[in-house]
Amino acid sequence: MPDNWTFVVAAYALAAAVFGGYWRWLNRRERELAASRSHQPSRSGHPRPEPAARPPLQQ
Amino acid sequence: MSTALGWLAAVALTAGLVMGFGVAPLELTQGNVQRIMYLHVPAVWVAYLAFALGLAGSIAYLAGRRPGADRVAHAACEVGTVFLGVNIATGAIWGKPTWGTWWTWDARLTSVAVVFVMFIAYLLLRQAVEDRERAARYAAVLGIVAALNIPLVHFSVYWWRTLHQPPSLLKPGSSTMPPAILAALLVNFAALALLGAYFVTRRARLLAAEEEALA
Repeated sequence: MPDNWTFVVAAYALAAAVFGGYWRWLNRRERELAASRSHQPSRSGHPRPEPAARPPLQQ
Repeated sequence: MSTALGWLAAVALTAGLVMGFGVAPLELTQGNVQRIMYLHVPAVWVAYLAFALGLAGSIAYLAGRRPGADRVAHAACEVGTVFLGVNIATGAIWGKPTWGTWWTWDARLTSVAVVFVMFIAYLLLRQAVEDRERAARYAAVLGIVAALNIPLVHFSVYWWRTLHQPPSLLKPGSSTMPPAILAALLVNFAALALLGAYFVTRRARLLAAEEEALA
């Protein structure tokens, strides 16, 4: 029987693409969530200042 | 914890590839195309485990209405669907050179396709219902019904005449598989199980963070 390496490579490449895609989706979702949290207003109701607008830390 | 699990899965997947392509011998009847088995079979075992976890989480949620149980069920069913999708796709790729067809509506393939569609419906249901408590309740019921179909998938090869071969390992009695092939299969199962556990852990954590952000 011929080895059919093309089919073997296709199966493993497809699995790598699916698992890799899911992993990347998890990473992206985590980043989006972190970004949306950093833009949320603070509990006092006042909007949190953007990092550039915050005063620098005192030495 | 999930980072360590991820690295462990990466190492195990590398070991699985070495076992599947370097250690396991050439199968005499099918040739190298049989090496798809080291991916196809462990993928469905991990999907079964994930759906069993989803079943337990769904029952626990209906019994106690704990959001943590719902998150575990959601994460496990989603990851199980990913693994089942890989199992179906790699099975089709393996079927073409060995059976001469990508797909046939025999009992095993049809029953596994039904379970896959049910879990796709489970994930769509979660997106479709606005109220989170109602979505969790409906999804728990559907998750239980879908998971109860898995024995039907497993035993379909005994109950009906199918093109798909009967199980070589998950059956009564000892395995007739050569030790090197069996070892490669088990290493790949361990690797995919670690990958599945890593995905479920991360997804459940992400769901908790999403709920916290919405609260």
